[in-house]
Amino acid sequence: MTLRAMIDGVPGRTILHVDLDAFFAAVEQRDRPELRGRPVIVGGGPNDRGVVSTASYEARRFGVHSAMPLRTAGRLCPDGVFLPVDGRKYQAASRQVMAILRRFTPAVEQVSIDEAFLDVTGSEALFGDGPAIARRIKSAIQDETGLTASVGVATSKLVAKVASDLRKPDGLVVVEPGGEPGFLAPLSISRLWGVGEQTGRILGELGVRTIGELASIPAEVLVRRLGRHGAELRERALGIDREPVSGGEPAKSVSHEHTFDVDTADQEEIERTLLALSEGVSSRLRTAGIRAGTVGVKVRDATFRTVTRQRTLAEPTDLTEPIWRTALELARPETRGIRVRLLGVAATNLVDREQLGLFPEEDPRRRRAVQAADELRRRFGERAVTRARLLRRPLPEPFERDPRSAVEGRRGVRGVGQAAETGEKERATAGSDGRGSPVEGVDEPPAGEAPEPVDGDESEPEPERDPEP
Amino acid sequence: MKLSVMQENLARGLQIVSRAVSTRSTLPVLANVLLRTEDAGLKLTATNLEIGMTYWVPGKIEADGAITVPARLLTDLVNSLPGSERVDLELQAHDTLLLRAGRFETRLKGIDAEEFPAIPTAGERPTTRIAQRVLRQALAETAFAAATDEARPILTGVLARFEGDRLTLAAADNYRIAVKTIPVLDPVPDTSLVIPARSLHELSRILADVEDPLDLVLSPSRNQVLFHLEGVDLVSRLIDGQFPNYQQVLPQGHTTRAEVDREELLKAVRLAGLIASSSANIVKLQVGGEAEGVTVTAVADVGDNRGQVEASVEGDGTAIAFNARYLSDVLQNVAVERFSIELNGPLSPGVFRPVDGSEYVHVVMPVRTTS
Repeated sequence: MTLRAMIDGVPGRTILHVDLDAFFAAVEQRDRPELRGRPVIVGGGPNDRGVVSTASYEARRFGVHSAMPLRTAGRLCPDGVFLPVDGRKYQAASRQVMAILRRFTPAVEQVSIDEAFLDVTGSEALFGDGPAIARRIKSAIQDETGLTASVGVATSKLVAKVASDLRKPDGLVVVEPGGEPGFLAPLSISRLWGVGEQTGRILGELGVRTIGELASIPAEVLVRRLGRHGAELRERALGIDREPVSGGEPAKSVSHEHTFDVDTADQEEIERTLLALSEGVSSRLRTAGIRAGTVGVKVRDATFRTVTRQRTLAEPTDLTEPIWRTALELARPETRGIRVRLLGVAATNLVDREQLGLFPEEDPRRRRAVQAADELRRRFGERAVTRARLLRRPLPEPFERDPRSAVEGRRGVRGVGQAAETGEKERATAGSDGRGSPVEGVDEPPAGEAPEPVDGDESEPEPERDPEP
Repeated sequence: MKLSVMQENLARGLQIVSRAVSTRSTLPVLANVLLRTEDAGLKLTATNLEIGMTYWVPGKIEADGAITVPARLLTDLVNSLPGSERVDLELQAHDTLLLRAGRFETRLKGIDAEEFPAIPTAGERPTTRIAQRVLRQALAETAFAAATDEARPILTGVLARFEGDRLTLAAADNYRIAVKTIPVLDPVPDTSLVIPARSLHELSRILADVEDPLDLVLSPSRNQVLFHLEGVDLVSRLIDGQFPNYQQVLPQGHTTRAEVDREELLKAVRLAGLIASSSANIVKLQVGGEAEGVTVTAVADVGDNRGQVEASVEGDGTAIAFNARYLSDVLQNVAVERFSIELNGPLSPGVFRPVDGSEYVHVVMPVRTTS
């Protein structure tokens, strides 16, 4: 154990962050050779409302970047190839890549459709050290999927994430143990998780532009200006991040999340999003034949302050309405008067048994209707039946999280035959949200999201629009 | 106000009425106990607006009067005074109670008695009477089944249905139901009311194991019921609403019936429950069929357990899963020697009846398991 490891209380780890380059655009260019070398913009037509999901590197040279309105992109890059989002195709490519990653370690934490953390500490004896594994992963992805990935190798998720982002595309950046503060020091503070607009402004007033300058500010000063968040930021500036790679554990929760392309304060949009997320969660519960005893919500605002709230239900359920009602009640006070960046609905306290009731409150016709709708979706696809409220503007194409830790992996849970089929349409986080009690706090943003759109930002927000009208 | 009482009498009275003191109220006076001289004694009253309790302490009155003082503080003080001592109480300056006992002297700041809500006492003729022992046992066998969460407020109450000289008590929490019928001493016109189970738990505490009756005064029009025993009144509000029609859910027949020793089955369920409590608290009963008697099993991550209970079984035999707590509740609260268990397969309610023929029935809903 190194001295550093003893100080941190965590034995020296080797963490990889693997991030696919301009993912959606790269998949399109791979499948359509005539698009290679041309500026490709995925998200919709140049005159559509909505925003850019991903721009190829050729398009970025024109100043096009993700989350930019499509019309702006159309102006900047009139000769660009504008394509709709083909979620199904990206989904398939993503699954292929994640399968490659799992050959090297079971500890794969997929954080979005195109990136994942790997803890390869225990794999080094088999496959060589961190940089060697990173090289093998890069060439396997290139050979088997025709896509390129950038990889960061470090002792923590934080530093690995920053490293992978540094030399895109097709980059490999290794940060040696002990070298973290020196590696981070010259970089802009905007590369750190948790530095949003507001925090950035406060740090600017303190004359802080680089991570090194941030690390040199006394902790008391930061705490005075930024509260508890300040102390955490300073730790991060020194490259200290103890968060484990969560993956390979049995599911304790089913959760769906949605990141808005543009932060929203529209209550109607928030409510509808919660409905769609609740629908996704409940459908997944029914597929797995389990019920949720507890419902939680996650609200992240534009400044990355994240609040989670949860409540135990009187009776476990697998229906959308009670989940949605609870999610609404939990989210309402947290979304009032703020711009919401991300919403999540989680089902925890999962049970595969049902206590029968004497005086059932639930209308049996409701369950029959739900079963009929489930059956229709199984036969004719996810869009065969939907809720009127979700008709006008369907929710983003969700995607499957790491299927290994998905809910079907739970011991003793049956009825998973359709899991793969429906899973394709869903975005589920498993295992990482099983918190014990109601928590409120300033969470670190998961690495899947860049702290703020910065120049050369590589991360694709989830597609917002449905490709099929 | 000026009077003298014996320490042990005052302490007992305070102990009884303080059960009704409101612990969380926005009305400060509800944390107080009302002391009022009445009928040549001291009347203690406390209420949380759901129940009110009144206790008469014998004493020697020199001057009438009334005051309210913090119940908790007064109770602690009086309990700490030497026993078998005379306690002198005196109202000073309208808002201070002076307590003198032996060489101790205490002054307590109070709140004017006028601010205390009016709590009715049993002045009227009783509607009926019930032997204390009979009611006490009936409450022990039913009230535990009432719901404790407020999801359906009506189920936090116990249905009391008077029909002639019979009273049927029913309590349910959506997963189980307990029904008991007992005699009342004076016939009552048909009346149904729903009494909060919490009030009945308090009533049980003051009922003695004796044949002496207690008085009931039903006033559904005033939305309350009053119980009167020697020296004590308990008045409770009623719960509005329609109690679910439990008779509809009582199974009419059965395909399997087993007779078991209550304590043997309780022992087996408790053992299995130790294992089951680490997961969903589910125990399985195999009644008859291939196996003899009743087999109780539990399987969880921590391990498993299996217990055999002797039983005489008639019928097809079946397996059924229950929440262990619901089984142990009925088995430990109903003190009979033998129970019959009537079943109609794994997804139908289980019916528990004492074999001695007493008018009691308990229904528990099973758990649907995937394995």
